[in-house]
Amino acid sequence: MRYVKWTFIAIIALLLFSFFHYTLPQTDIARVVGTENRRIDFGENSFFWASPDVGTAIDKNRDVFFIQTFRADGKPMVYRNEDTGWGWPPYFKLDSSNLQAEAQNMVSNSDNPRWAAITHYGWRNEFLTIFPNAISIRSVEGPDVGFFPWFNVMFFIVLGGVLLMLWRMWAQFRERTIDPALESIGDTIDEVDAKADNLWARVTRWLGSWKGKPRR
Amino acid sequence: MIGFIRLAVFGFIGLTVLYFLVSIYSRSTRREELEKAWGAEQGPGDRDGFIAAGMAEYEKGLRKKLIWLVYVIPTLAVIAAVYLLNFA
Repeated sequence: MRYVKWTFIAIIALLLFSFFHYTLPQTDIARVVGTENRRIDFGENSFFWASPDVGTAIDKNRDVFFIQTFRADGKPMVYRNEDTGWGWPPYFKLDSSNLQAEAQNMVSNSDNPRWAAITHYGWRNEFLTIFPNAISIRSVEGPDVGFFPWFNVMFFIVLGGVLLMLWRMWAQFRERTIDPALESIGDTIDEVDAKADNLWARVTRWLGSWKGKPRR
Repeated sequence: MIGFIRLAVFGFIGLTVLYFLVSIYSRSTRREELEKAWGAEQGPGDRDGFIAAGMAEYEKGLRKKLIWLVYVIPTLAVIAAVYLLNFA
């Protein structure tokens, strides 16, 4: 049973970690080498694509913007550039066309690189053909710029506060509503029990009245 | 547009549930504080009257009005996110 319990806990922890790792923003330093848009027919990987531009029709396929880059370590990274609109994840991104123009404006070659910080969420996975979704792009000095993830730290502090609050609310509800109710149920059972005892005593007394008087 | 309406409707439903939960919690803690205050002092007046008066004051007080922030803060957060991520 211990193995089952720990396997279960490990799976839950892995799912939570994956969820937050996929959804929360991360910043990469990269060099934009090109932009394009191409038509995508969504298949098994449709779960990993966002939504069509706000206000446009939803169909089985559509054109998606892509931003091709090389990371500081020389490895390629391709981002998609899609609106998330009013849906999930809640980035409220409506400006994918503007972002595409900004990315186009930063195109450079390896001889004369222009480094950019690309904030994104999501994963690149070759087996599923999925791409991280770029949220914003801005110029940086060089490939070695580091960023402290302020937003993510704040997010987890707020999330911890909300969970603590929910736990406090539950504890209060249990202390003030559930426990007294259970107690009163317990009291009621005791009362019923006492009444039953009382009734039984009367029945035995009545039965006793039929007995003959002890002989002298 | 349909996406925005969906967000607004479901967000409103979710925040309404949260509003009621927080109201119940806040009222419950206030009542507990009053019960403890009366228990420590054994007064003034009788217990039920003291708590009823305290709760009547709570219903008119600032603390209850602050629970409306449950609606205000997420709405401001969404507006701020839309501005910062698209137009800043």
